[in-house]
Amino acid sequence: MLIRISRIAALFLALAWAGCTNDPYPDADKGRKVLYTSFSEVPKTLDPAVSYTTSEHVITGNVYDTLLEYHYLERPYKLIAGLAEAVPEPEALPDGGQRYRFRIRPGVRFHDDICFGARSPGQRSREVTAQDFAFQFARLADPAINSPVASSFVQVKGFQAFAKRLADLRKADPAFVKQAAHVQYAKAGGIEGVVAASDRDLEIVLTEANAQILYWFAMPFTTPIAWEAVAYYDGREGRPNFADHVVGTGPFRLAVYDKQLRYVLAKNPTWYGLRDEAASAPGVAFPSNIDPADVAAKRIDPAYAGRRMPFLDRVNFARERENIPRFNKFLQGYYDDGGIIKESFDAIVQGDRLSPDMAKRGMRLDREVEPSIFYIGFNMNDPVLGSKGGERSRKLRQAMSLVVDTETFLQLFLNGRGVPAQSPLPPGLFGYDANYRNPFRQPDQAKAKRLLAEAGYANGIDPATQAPLKLTFDMGNTSAQSLLESEFLVGAWRGLGLNVEIAATTYNQFQDKVRRGAYQIFRWGWNADFPDPENFLFLLECSNAQANSNGPNTANFCNDGFDQRYRAMKDMPNNETRLRLVKEMLAITEAERPWIELFHVEDFTLSHAWLINSKPMGLSYPAFKYKDVDPGMRERLIAQWNEPVRWPLALLVIGVIALAVPAVRTYYRERT
Amino acid sequence: MILVQNLLVLTIVAGIAWVAYAASRDRYWRESAREMWRRRPVALVVVAIYLVIGLLDSVAWVGGTVAEDPTAAYLPRSVIDRIFKPEALKEASYSAPLADKAFYGSDALKHPGKHWLGTDILGRDVLYRTFKGVRVALLVGGLTSLVAIPLALLFGVSAGYFGKRVDDAVFFTMTVLSSVPSLLLLIALIMVLGKGAVQVCIALGVTGWVHFCRISRGEALKLREMDYVASARVLGVSDGKIIVRHILPNMAHLVIITFALSFTGMVLTETTLSYLGIGLDGSWGQMIDQARNELSRTPIIWWNIAAAATALFALVLAVNLIADGLRDVIDPRTRRERT
Repeated sequence: MLIRISRIAALFLALAWAGCTNDPYPDADKGRKVLYTSFSEVPKTLDPAVSYTTSEHVITGNVYDTLLEYHYLERPYKLIAGLAEAVPEPEALPDGGQRYRFRIRPGVRFHDDICFGARSPGQRSREVTAQDFAFQFARLADPAINSPVASSFVQVKGFQAFAKRLADLRKADPAFVKQAAHVQYAKAGGIEGVVAASDRDLEIVLTEANAQILYWFAMPFTTPIAWEAVAYYDGREGRPNFADHVVGTGPFRLAVYDKQLRYVLAKNPTWYGLRDEAASAPGVAFPSNIDPADVAAKRIDPAYAGRRMPFLDRVNFARERENIPRFNKFLQGYYDDGGIIKESFDAIVQGDRLSPDMAKRGMRLDREVEPSIFYIGFNMNDPVLGSKGGERSRKLRQAMSLVVDTETFLQLFLNGRGVPAQSPLPPGLFGYDANYRNPFRQPDQAKAKRLLAEAGYANGIDPATQAPLKLTFDMGNTSAQSLLESEFLVGAWRGLGLNVEIAATTYNQFQDKVRRGAYQIFRWGWNADFPDPENFLFLLECSNAQANSNGPNTANFCNDGFDQRYRAMKDMPNNETRLRLVKEMLAITEAERPWIELFHVEDFTLSHAWLINSKPMGLSYPAFKYKDVDPGMRERLIAQWNEPVRWPLALLVIGVIALAVPAVRTYYRERT
Repeated sequence: MILVQNLLVLTIVAGIAWVAYAASRDRYWRESAREMWRRRPVALVVVAIYLVIGLLDSVAWVGGTVAEDPTAAYLPRSVIDRIFKPEALKEASYSAPLADKAFYGSDALKHPGKHWLGTDILGRDVLYRTFKGVRVALLVGGLTSLVAIPLALLFGVSAGYFGKRVDDAVFFTMTVLSSVPSLLLLIALIMVLGKGAVQVCIALGVTGWVHFCRISRGEALKLREMDYVASARVLGVSDGKIIVRHILPNMAHLVIITFALSFTGMVLTETTLSYLGIGLDGSWGQMIDQARNELSRTPIIWWNIAAAATALFALVLAVNLIADGLRDVIDPRTRRERT
């Protein structure tokens, strides 16, 4: 018995010695064009009408095609034609409205899927028609689907009327709901402003001019959806829900979807881009006008110009809950790209560039300022801080704005990964001025003290109580990290003599406070939906105020001059007048200080040398079709970086033997 | 509020002094104290230091001026605050213990060599923060034990002594409470009661009495069958008197051990709660929570977590050692063996 066990152990050891590797992927994938990456947040839904987070768009953006797309390389962002043959020009209508005509490319087919065989046996797919877009628009309007972006389409003619008709029909007849969605929509009469003129012609009619609506056609919300898929994938009889099953048209199919653990995107052989008639479509070939700066940074390989996409066979997503193991696997080469964790930042990045160690490995560091803003907001309905306080409160807000040192904040908490914000507009947007310096955002303690004294709070003393003015900083997060950040901010105000207390509650309790209007100072952020100043300035418009309409204007900022200009610039194309209006609006926020603008996040992405054509994608959704990998280089470098360390194993064996010897000796001694 | 707090401190100090005085007049207690001192001198000193720091941090008053933080002059500051002057002692960010320059970069510190345990991310002195944690720990441990133990004794002894319906009722409550995972119950209670020192102490007290209740019930069950209890009952002594005269004194050693154990248990539980983000502000748990990611930094920042963990460890160990020593000294059985 003893001999047999030792023989097995010897065999095992010999095997372990020879085939020693920590490669987590099957050998069959060696040499194939597979991109390995990771995710941490589990997608909630893949229904393109609902999914609204980055973790979901990573999938939906690549499996669903859109009529329009963002140019992969050009900045500022530019729209190109996707499923549409061209980016449409608006046509003015006599009633003040607008019409956009989309001509849909021929030969666009849905992914092969059994749902098409449910009605007509044997059918595996079908061509996309304009009706499929109209169907998705009806879904966006459907109150039961509760799309988070429904309000963005209210200018589509008949959008709200359709939603109301649908709701009325459902209320009147309980049996109505039991029918398939497309039947219900047909009975409710469809949306007046979404017209399928022919199988390949889609017309969108708006009740008023809106230049920004085109951006929505570059997002997965407006993708064509097959009614067969929605009817078939209803979650009954073992079929998955539509939210967990993708039937799109995109360059990739969702081949594996085990959402807690991993998912796999696989090249879609029936993608329209792989047919010859689509050869000239801009969303099919890699762009030719490559910026030399991208080439110099080795981000983009110029040899790819004009080549047919997609290049990858598969994209493999593995779930990583924790930052540190994910980052270590990236360093070992098992993920092709990754962010930088705070803990290792100083080892990876030195003085804005990769450290020599990392650069030697051929790694690439890409930085892009995200179209986002983080800010501190004041509740403008508050008697002390808000607009009712007039000049006194304005000067108080200005003083508080003057002492918040974002530069230091970014250094302490984000390794400097951000750009101090001067206005609500992030870089790259129309109206952003790189040379503009907000006079109230340059830390100046002396000026702040002066303003505070002018406001009647000399040295922070509230004349009513003869004690430091008491304010509350409301936080919807009880984590240690955010408490530290708040302590930093509050510390700056305490230096002025203001007694700002931190009220840290759970996010739900904080939201409840916001609903009741019981808050003074808060911290919030916003990520752009589309690259237009309107998408940031609407956060300060009166009709969006939290107190009026539960809108996103949590600061409850209401200013007539601002609102007038907002209405005027909202749907204007980018021109001189619009620029002037935006500047004037920014001047109002500068003086009024409903926000203390903190920073725009700068995204640092690391990628290995074998990952080709990887550029921070910002707003662009279908990114994987542009990317490629060099599997040979990957295999070589991984082998080089992961030399097995064998001495611990030897040590282990010696240890086991040392422990076993007395036992064996005792065994033989006792047996006799 | 401040007045009440200061009066409370005064009461505690007076109480300790009175107990010490009263004990010194009694030969038995004098000998017990001497025996304790012989057995656990270091632990006693450690606990005494903690007590002094905690009490000094509890005596606070408004007054004086602080140049760096004008609001501080209007808020009550404790003796510890006044000794350390934390507003003046601030640096820009991290600095290592006794360093004379910042940890990142090479900026000179404002107070080189003065930070015995370094500074944290916001440049606050770690030694000061550790000292501030003492009061929180003593408050949590002491207050909740003072709530939980009488509660447990009341229910446990009455259940054990009277039995029948009382026992059924108490035992049912105990079983229900202990069948819910205590950490979940704690979190739920804090969610309902809200954050704050009193709320956390109440939640800890409510969940903490069950264990000792079980022990004291068993002990009372055993003691009520004793001959001297039976003879007292035959002589017509009332139940209340029997409990006070014969049951409780025989459980004194249990109470003391449980006090010490639950004291340290509560301090540790509060640390866990702080780690989950629902504990008390300024506790060691919060320091550990804020510092946990610093351990995986390169180069490593260890002094935050080390200071909090050492302070916690020393207190828990010292209290446990004292409890152990006390048990040996005052338990009637071991005392008899000794003499």
